[in-house]
Amino acid sequence: MDRRSFLKTTAFATAGLTLGGSVLFPSNAAELVDNPPPKKPYEEALKEITKGKPVSDSDKVKLVAPEIAENGAVVPITAEVELPIEQVKAIHILTDKNHNTRTLSVYFTPANGKAYISTRIRLAETMNVVAIAELADGSFIKAQKPVKVTIGGCG
Amino acid sequence: MNISRRELFHLAAIAGLSLTAEDVFAKLNDMNPEKLFEFKPVGNVTLLHICDLHAHLKPLYWREPSTLISARELVGTPGFLCGNTFMKYYGIKPNTMRAYFDTYIAFEELAKKYGKMGGVAYIKTLVNQIKAERGNDKVLFMDSGDTWQGTAVGLFTKGQAIVEAQNALGIDIMVGHWEYTFGKDRVLELINNHLKAEFISQNVADDMWGELIFKPYTIREVGGVKVAVIGNSFPYTPIANPREFTEGWTFGIQTERLQKFVDEVRSKGADVVVLLSHDGFTVDQAVAKMVKGIDVILSGHTHDPAPKPIIINNTIIVIAGSHGKYLGRLDLEVKNKKITNFAFKLYPVASNFIKPDREVENLVNELYKPYEKQLSEVIGKTQTTLYKRDTFYSTFDRVIMDAIKEEADCEIVFNPGYRWGTTLLPGDNITVDDVYSMTAITYPDVYKFEMTGTQIKNILEDIADNVFNSNPLYQQGGDMSRTLGIDYEIKINGEPGKRLSNIKVNGKDLDPNRTYVVAAWGGNMHRAGKNVKKLRAVYDITMDYIKRVKVVNPPQKSNVKVLDYACGCPVTDGKC
Repeated sequence: MDRRSFLKTTAFATAGLTLGGSVLFPSNAAELVDNPPPKKPYEEALKEITKGKPVSDSDKVKLVAPEIAENGAVVPITAEVELPIEQVKAIHILTDKNHNTRTLSVYFTPANGKAYISTRIRLAETMNVVAIAELADGSFIKAQKPVKVTIGGCG
Repeated sequence: MNISRRELFHLAAIAGLSLTAEDVFAKLNDMNPEKLFEFKPVGNVTLLHICDLHAHLKPLYWREPSTLISARELVGTPGFLCGNTFMKYYGIKPNTMRAYFDTYIAFEELAKKYGKMGGVAYIKTLVNQIKAERGNDKVLFMDSGDTWQGTAVGLFTKGQAIVEAQNALGIDIMVGHWEYTFGKDRVLELINNHLKAEFISQNVADDMWGELIFKPYTIREVGGVKVAVIGNSFPYTPIANPREFTEGWTFGIQTERLQKFVDEVRSKGADVVVLLSHDGFTVDQAVAKMVKGIDVILSGHTHDPAPKPIIINNTIIVIAGSHGKYLGRLDLEVKNKKITNFAFKLYPVASNFIKPDREVENLVNELYKPYEKQLSEVIGKTQTTLYKRDTFYSTFDRVIMDAIKEEADCEIVFNPGYRWGTTLLPGDNITVDDVYSMTAITYPDVYKFEMTGTQIKNILEDIADNVFNSNPLYQQGGDMSRTLGIDYEIKINGEPGKRLSNIKVNGKDLDPNRTYVVAAWGGNMHRAGKNVKKLRAVYDITMDYIKRVKVVNPPQKSNVKVLDYACGCPVTDGKC
């Protein structure tokens, strides 16, 4: 991706990101050390999003993530739902072994033009990254990819 | 290449044959280089290919692996074949030159018969021959990388000696991996100011903006055919090698982007799409399943000497061994943007049977000249074969670990499972050059540090999961790190994180809570350790040790017991 298309896609995502801004950029990091946020396991986060509705695998959800992370602290991911924007309500990113598995939720309006996000997430260890698309009709579809976090060392 | 009567006698003498014996021609046929160099040209495009030269400008001995163990799903597939399994798969007869080049079997005996392998002056002769036959305009010469690093002359000149050799060979296009360990500034300097070949890669990008560092592809007219070549550098460079060398650059396999470029070159009118890759042979087989429209993959990284191509979803995948032992040649007949016929051969670069190109030989001598005296110094002798390739254990690594253990005064030594190096025969002198051939890296420091038993187990499990992962995309393509002071048992097909058992440290069970004194080089393990001390460079430590002991004789037996396979290179399902 060149700088121009990067700027274009971040512009798409920004509208969604502001909603989750307080989660992404904690204002007081020291407070978090003393009072760590509660652990949120995968099943709990999933239920929070889907309210128990089924989630089916779909090739309409395109999730791009590295096979092996170069740095677990900043793993680049992109997720896109290949459906008209009117049909997509949100993209939720879950990381099934992080302390808090609910990593990111981006909500769209038709003004976003395209259901596409690109960001970096932290992975504490080797785990699955799951992109769940919440559709306007209330159904859920997903794609997932295992990402390995390794110390590396052979060549 | 014509063989004269004199050469025939020479051949026979080398083979220890009498020309009056009845079956002499049958015997000669087995080893006749004429037959090995025979090629029936096809179509109007010839792709020449080398990979993983590892800076070996001169001929050397290089013994292929005696074990090459993989997850069950990959057992018996190209990329995990060796020894008898390899010979059976490719129909190679024992004691032939092919057997000598491609396997470890009877290596010492055949080495005497057939001599050293590789050397750029010898490669050049073959290239000249092919270009003369085919015409310059029909030949494109490509290099899959791991070319600049691996010997003293590569290290001392920061890659430049090897670039000059590449220029003399006439390499047209290349990608990289160990090249990057000279640091990104040096890489760009060599590419921009010295290298005549085009350096391409679609999978190296600026990590902030995602802008590509190199041209992703190039389109060349070869024999009237538009050949598009897309590059992939080693996807895990910043993981397998220190990140600081490529700070700010991001790699990865990038199959989505690759697909985009395949479509793009097709729309620009490419007749043939080639991926020049340093992904590794198994990873490229997976890539061929994921990306549509690649006609040919010229693979590298895993050092496989595969005499026949693999065809997956209409993609022809070839790889050309390592250390300059082979020159790959793929002839293509292209009609209406389709490959209608092809022929492939790995020419063995058998230096005893090829007349070196005078110019390139002179160049090599000149490049060596400033270091010749230092590098040819004999520092000791070996009683046994010193080799590198094996899944868990190798004799040359054992000598290096013995040296480190003495210097560091530690309980455990870790040694990287690189696939490059050299081979010495029993009774051979060990020279300074030989030690560098095993250790010539830009981050040679040995570290001494402390680690708990739990950390040590976790690190071994982590490395095992990179080597034995059943999904090729998650493999980094090296062999298992070697250990001294630690013996263990392993279940290759065990659950990730639970493969190792019965881990002993110097004869006693590994205590998860105890702190151990460890020494390691060539990786980034020390970053997880405590009380880290930087010792000397691994080549200096190893040379001093060999000078001191004068004769080395490392044990032949591995310190690792594999529980779920009975042998090194199983045919199917782990049974031999």
